[in-house]
Amino acid sequence: MKRAIGCLATLLAMSGVAHAQNTVTLGASVQETGALANTGRYYRDGYNFAIAKINESGGVKVGGKTYKLALKILDNQSDSNLSVRQYVQLLTQDKVNFLLGPFASDFALADSSVAEKYQVPMIQGGGASDQIFSRGYKYIFGTLPVASKYFGSTIAMMGKLNPAPKSVALLYADDAFDVSVAAGTRELIRKAGLKLTEDKRYSSNTSDFSTLISEVKSSNPDAILVSGHETEVLNFIRQAKSLNLSPKIYSFTVGVPTADFRKALGADANYAFGMTPWLPSPTNKDQYFGDAPAFVKAYTQKFGYEPDYHAASAVADVEAFAKAMQAAGTLDPKKVRDAISHVNFGSIYGTIAFDSAGQISLPQTVIQVQNGQVTPIYAQGIMISKPQYPMPLWGKR
Amino acid sequence: MQLLAQILANGVLLGGLYALMALGLALIWGVLNIVNLAHGAFIMLGAYVGYYLFSLFHIDPFVALPVSMGALFCLGYLIQRHLLNLIARAPMFNTLLITFGLDVVLTYLAQMFFSADFRTINPGYAGANFTLFGITLPLVRVLAFLVAIVLTVALWLFLSRFRVGRAIRATAQNLGAARLYGVEPRRLYALTFGLGAALAGGAGDLYGVVSQINPYIGAALTAKSFAIAIIGGLENPLGVVVGGIFLGIVESLTALYVGPTYVDVASFGILVLVLILRPNGLLGAAA
Repeated sequence: MKRAIGCLATLLAMSGVAHAQNTVTLGASVQETGALANTGRYYRDGYNFAIAKINESGGVKVGGKTYKLALKILDNQSDSNLSVRQYVQLLTQDKVNFLLGPFASDFALADSSVAEKYQVPMIQGGGASDQIFSRGYKYIFGTLPVASKYFGSTIAMMGKLNPAPKSVALLYADDAFDVSVAAGTRELIRKAGLKLTEDKRYSSNTSDFSTLISEVKSSNPDAILVSGHETEVLNFIRQAKSLNLSPKIYSFTVGVPTADFRKALGADANYAFGMTPWLPSPTNKDQYFGDAPAFVKAYTQKFGYEPDYHAASAVADVEAFAKAMQAAGTLDPKKVRDAISHVNFGSIYGTIAFDSAGQISLPQTVIQVQNGQVTPIYAQGIMISKPQYPMPLWGKR
Repeated sequence: MQLLAQILANGVLLGGLYALMALGLALIWGVLNIVNLAHGAFIMLGAYVGYYLFSLFHIDPFVALPVSMGALFCLGYLIQRHLLNLIARAPMFNTLLITFGLDVVLTYLAQMFFSADFRTINPGYAGANFTLFGITLPLVRVLAFLVAIVLTVALWLFLSRFRVGRAIRATAQNLGAARLYGVEPRRLYALTFGLGAALAGGAGDLYGVVSQINPYIGAALTAKSFAIAIIGGLENPLGVVVGGIFLGIVESLTALYVGPTYVDVASFGILVLVLILRPNGLLGAAA
């Protein structure tokens, strides 16, 4: 018995040593449960998928030694205070090497302070708010394009429609991401010479939009831009239908690219515009996955749902760490941080490179749900396919 | 003017939905003196019953309404009989704790079994509406409003006209005296809790037709129901309808005139005012 315990202890000690020597652990606190679990899972699944694939391909070579990647993931229950505590725990108790981000700007905003304080780089693909990158932090990197420009391509496209929308209503939730979007969009609307008929901020988790919808309906704008959460967008569209609100065009910052959104709304999802920084184009070549369509196929097979840009962004975060560690030739957090600021590589998600503030620059492709399919419409000055415009009245669909 | 009329109509219809949500909470609170923090979770479960009946068997949500109610009645009955009756005489703090725990368990079980995907009950007429004097009225909300009124009146009749209903009220008013008259409180408590859960189930089924369903909608609905129950008072189911409609109108007007971010400030501000000025609710006796 004693010997058995002794053996076990030796084994454990050995495995502990092996663990410390050959593994780089990435730590993340993600919304696996709670109100944001729906989107949080894209990050959990994306991180796991990328790490498994990189390990499968032999791991990461750092300074002549090969390392396997490991993931330490904690569930923050969609509570941003808990997520801050968990990032501190990941660094102080679990001693993870580097940090991957949570979903959503509110979380990334708070959690990036932990990365900055402990001087351990965090690459996050879940927070786009300009606020995250405007504080002069050096240890936070983001793979979502900047929030204030989310509607940039949409407003550029509107100028090319016939007849072009002349008036716009802007509705947005009161969190870090959506407030950033609204601030940027207001400016874009002004520059485009459009008339802003409504500019309304609502509480996050609003479920009843009937007052807002009635108000917008009475000012009758050509276009409605909504920046909010997916639950709100679902409620908004359903209630717009039940109150007969039919603008010529409406567009949403979230929801439209996800399969879940189309499934929940059925035919009512049609005609909705949105945007995505990522479409699985075969021109997105990747060292580990081949290219984006191959990634989508493998991911869908593994998880049973199609990845959208959240998952692809999560994969890019892991790959960026792999590339940066290789380039740095060491696991020293400061040196890896400097290497991250210089990465420049092609991935399933697009070209990964960060500006001086730490944020990626990717164009947003305007998309529209047409007959239940997400259809790319417009990007970088080019009309990719014909938009269904103006949107027919609800009664005439 | 047209807009104001529309907003008022929106408010009244929203209030009907609110009343339906709060009715069960008020019943359980009034009779059992339990503030059921799992009430929103019951509404969520009722919504899933409706969702699965609709998506798997194409059963119309209004046909599924009694099924949702029945399923939640059974669940509520069993929970009271085998869990809450154990602490029937305990201080309120214990019942708060246990129903809070129940809420957490039900919510996480829901995520395990139903996933965190957003669902909707989306029959062809879900977005239908009709126009009356220039006001657009969503069909489902009007129907939900009528269901709320019918269920409230039915509950009121049950409590005031039927022997079992009167026994329920008797145990609420004076347990000792009720016992002397041969009322068996344990079964009555389970029955009451089951009825409250059934009303939550019905509310959930209709909620899924106008809104979206996910395992985490419960907490906000519990808070809203709580506010309505206090504003309306616990003595009379009709008070809950008044409270619900009152809150619906106030919220709609606040969103219009003050701003949509102030809706919760208004509703919980009114809650505080009612507690100070009319602690027995709008329809209850004055303080």
